[in-house]
Amino acid sequence: MPAGSRQTRSFIERTAAALVDALEHAFYAEELARAPGFLQQLDPRIKLLGILALMITVVAVRSLKVIAGLFLVALIIAALSQVPLRSLLKRVWIAVLLFTGVIALPALFVTPGRVVGRLPALGWTITAQGLTSAGFLVARAETAATLCVLLILTTPWAQVLKALRVLKTPVVLVTILGMTYRYLFLLLETARDMFESRRSRLVGKLNSSERRRVAASSAGVLMSKSFDLSSEVYSAMLSRGFHGEVYALDEFESRPFDWIMLGACALVIAAAFWLGG
Amino acid sequence: MSVAEPAVFELRDVTYRYHQVKALDCLCLAIEPGNRVALLGANGSGKSTLLRILDGLCFPQEGSVRFCGQPLSEETLARDGFGFRRRVGLVFQNPDVQLFSPTVFDELAFGPLQLRWPATEIRRRVSETLDLMEIAHLRDRSPHHLSMGEKKRVALASILVLDPEILLLDEPTAALDPKSESHMIDFLVRAKGGAKTIVTATHDLDIAEDIADTCCVFQEGRVAAVGPPSQILSNIPLLEQTSLLHSHLHMHKSGAVHAHPHLHRHEH
Amino acid sequence: MHIPDGYLSPSTCAVLYGGALPFWCIALRRVKSLFHTRLIPLISVFAAFAFVIMMFNVPIPGGTTAHAVGVGIATVVLGPWASMLSISAALFLQALFFGDGGLTTLGANCFNMAVIGSLAAYLVYHLLARRAAITASRRVVAAAIAGYVAINASALCAAIELGLQPLLFKNAAGAPLYAPYPLSISVPAMMIGHLTFAGLAELVITGGVVAYLQRANPILLARAAPDARLAESEVLEAARRDTARTIRSLWTAIALLLVLTPLGILAAGAAWGEWSAKDFSNPAARAQIMAVSEHAAPPAQTPRGLARLSRVWTAPFPNYSPSFVRRRAFGYMLSAMFGVGVIILISLFTSWLTARIRPGPGEAETEEA
Repeated sequence: MPAGSRQTRSFIERTAAALVDALEHAFYAEELARAPGFLQQLDPRIKLLGILALMITVVAVRSLKVIAGLFLVALIIAALSQVPLRSLLKRVWIAVLLFTGVIALPALFVTPGRVVGRLPALGWTITAQGLTSAGFLVARAETAATLCVLLILTTPWAQVLKALRVLKTPVVLVTILGMTYRYLFLLLETARDMFESRRSRLVGKLNSSERRRVAASSAGVLMSKSFDLSSEVYSAMLSRGFHGEVYALDEFESRPFDWIMLGACALVIAAAFWLGG
Repeated sequence: MSVAEPAVFELRDVTYRYHQVKALDCLCLAIEPGNRVALLGANGSGKSTLLRILDGLCFPQEGSVRFCGQPLSEETLARDGFGFRRRVGLVFQNPDVQLFSPTVFDELAFGPLQLRWPATEIRRRVSETLDLMEIAHLRDRSPHHLSMGEKKRVALASILVLDPEILLLDEPTAALDPKSESHMIDFLVRAKGGAKTIVTATHDLDIAEDIADTCCVFQEGRVAAVGPPSQILSNIPLLEQTSLLHSHLHMHKSGAVHAHPHLHRHEH
Repeated sequence: MHIPDGYLSPSTCAVLYGGALPFWCIALRRVKSLFHTRLIPLISVFAAFAFVIMMFNVPIPGGTTAHAVGVGIATVVLGPWASMLSISAALFLQALFFGDGGLTTLGANCFNMAVIGSLAAYLVYHLLARRAAITASRRVVAAAIAGYVAINASALCAAIELGLQPLLFKNAAGAPLYAPYPLSISVPAMMIGHLTFAGLAELVITGGVVAYLQRANPILLARAAPDARLAESEVLEAARRDTARTIRSLWTAIALLLVLTPLGILAAGAAWGEWSAKDFSNPAARAQIMAVSEHAAPPAQTPRGLARLSRVWTAPFPNYSPSFVRRRAFGYMLSAMFGVGVIILISLFTSWLTARIRPGPGEAETEEA
């Protein structure tokens, strides 16, 4: 078993770092959502529908060229919406490439088909079908992830929720999602503070079983806190007249521009299916 | 105040147990309309539990609670819950539990929406309240982006939007920086003209004089003393006995060390 | 196990959304009848909790760390229905904000982790912890195993969904359009990772949290365990209200079938590494594939896919396809990895078990392996 102290710190530090990262990520998203840009100005309902439809198209079409074309469309939208390509590169493209790329790589060798190349040292052969298949996986994953990130980077969360409600998602589910997001931050902060204070108290070495105990009791503390929190929130809701049903006040105005953009989106999708359906 | 008008809240021999521990013990208390009451007590003296009972969130195992002459119980509240929820508002000590909506606007609109007000009325009332509490610039912000002072103000606004006759406040100045605290006190002092009944639970003796006409001192789930602020706050032995006050040793410039009673401004 | 966009065909996604939908509806109804107006804050806060738990680095025996899903502990504390909703909400936010899992594949991820995971955890926990006192060490063991089984059941579902893709969806040249690996690769590849790392993370978290709650907050554990011998009875208002016991037993039976169907395939396929094309050309094995593809692919596609099956299926594992030397090597590698995984697991389990028996109850879940 590796040395205790270094391991201990890195386990707690890694967890705390992941939590802080998550917080910062979300803050960044809300910041960009307020910038003036193409997507930011679109009616959230139309944006949500359009981007979801594009994502489904990316998954459905059967031509690599068409997927590449849709990726290009996503890039243009990103540029028009002031989403810096560098942040897309860092947050999306490299991350997806690392994950999906590694998963797709063996497909080059194990997919049966026409041999087009050979790996020098090992002698494994690469097939055309393997290349196509890996290409599909990576291209689809990259394009869909880019579109999803564009939606979330350019839309305040409250607007996404409202759009979901207007698009007939049951209000109770939308309320749950909204509240989950709200208390996610509280619990992330609680968890981070918990790990930070634990880290500052740690002087000696923890062995592997003690580390597990720390992780489990942290999760346990968090669970107890979650339960208390949910009872308190429930009381606060009751106090303001809540009796099981939730209502919402939704106001959206769509301008002709929004409908034109929805039409453009439909056109892109129709073209994609015509070219590579 | 006319004699015929019943007390807003009348509690008789109220006992509330929380897992075998008595939070309130045979408590008797009456709160008259338009009265501003401060519930003073150390942590765990039962004042938060009392506020919850007054707000109809929990119900005592023994004794009776009357609201404007009517018995307040789970059944009566279920029958005519909305009249009560409209008239009584509780501001929780921890604003995070009270701010559960995606934005400040949604938060203020939650109560009115639950009471099924018309949409135009809700919009008007919400923007009025946002202006009143000077938080209009926070309208579209998420609660988790707010500072503690802002959160407390939004939490209060989310109750005031309903314009309740009776306002229950749990530690309104706890965990606030001095500026937010004075803002909060200003508001509570100004509310005096509104003829509202205000019940404030606090252990901050400094604010009691500003925000209350009557002080109730709590100890171990019972009322230890009731009286006007001037009388209660000058009763040093009482305050010391109920852990609201304790003596500190002080080193003065002259180098003399002496002990004198010390008011507590901040939560420990 | 969070399947990203692009790994599953639109039809598979649609079918799995369809598979999750009735469970969401039932869960919403059940949770409403159990918790009444408490539903919204309870589900929301626990979804946030599950989200945070998914970010924990859980140290597992052997010195590394892995991520848990939290479905085990959510089921033990909230019961399967509330757990389903909480985990689904957490998965949705993860997909939307952090790109963990796709949006088109959200139905699949929810079906695997939230639905199957919760049901598997519930069944195992209730079978093993039946009538145990809330503070009994049997509950810790039951919870740990429940978490472990839940994750592996979820992983197995995911592996089968992924593994069916190349059988059903190829272009004219025979290149897979979605996840490229057949069942013979996807199942062992997924299961190695989950039988060892991810499964153990869930095991540690579920067992550990239950042990912690037994000491610090036993009332929480009593909520979803109405059969427990209890000291505190007042906390059970929710759990006691069992309005639809009959519905529950019906759904339990369905859940059992759902969990056992994929397991059945594996059992029929003899040992993992020996799964071959021959198995798939025999009618019995085909029938099993058919049973699974009810959840994973539309019926219209299935016959064509199965007809193609024997043609396109080439086992990458040893002894069956001597003409493909390269794939044999790969197969050896996978088999070896898998074998090692199983051995590690068995040794971990036995040492954990013996350690459990010696020092007495309560410490089992955190003993050094």
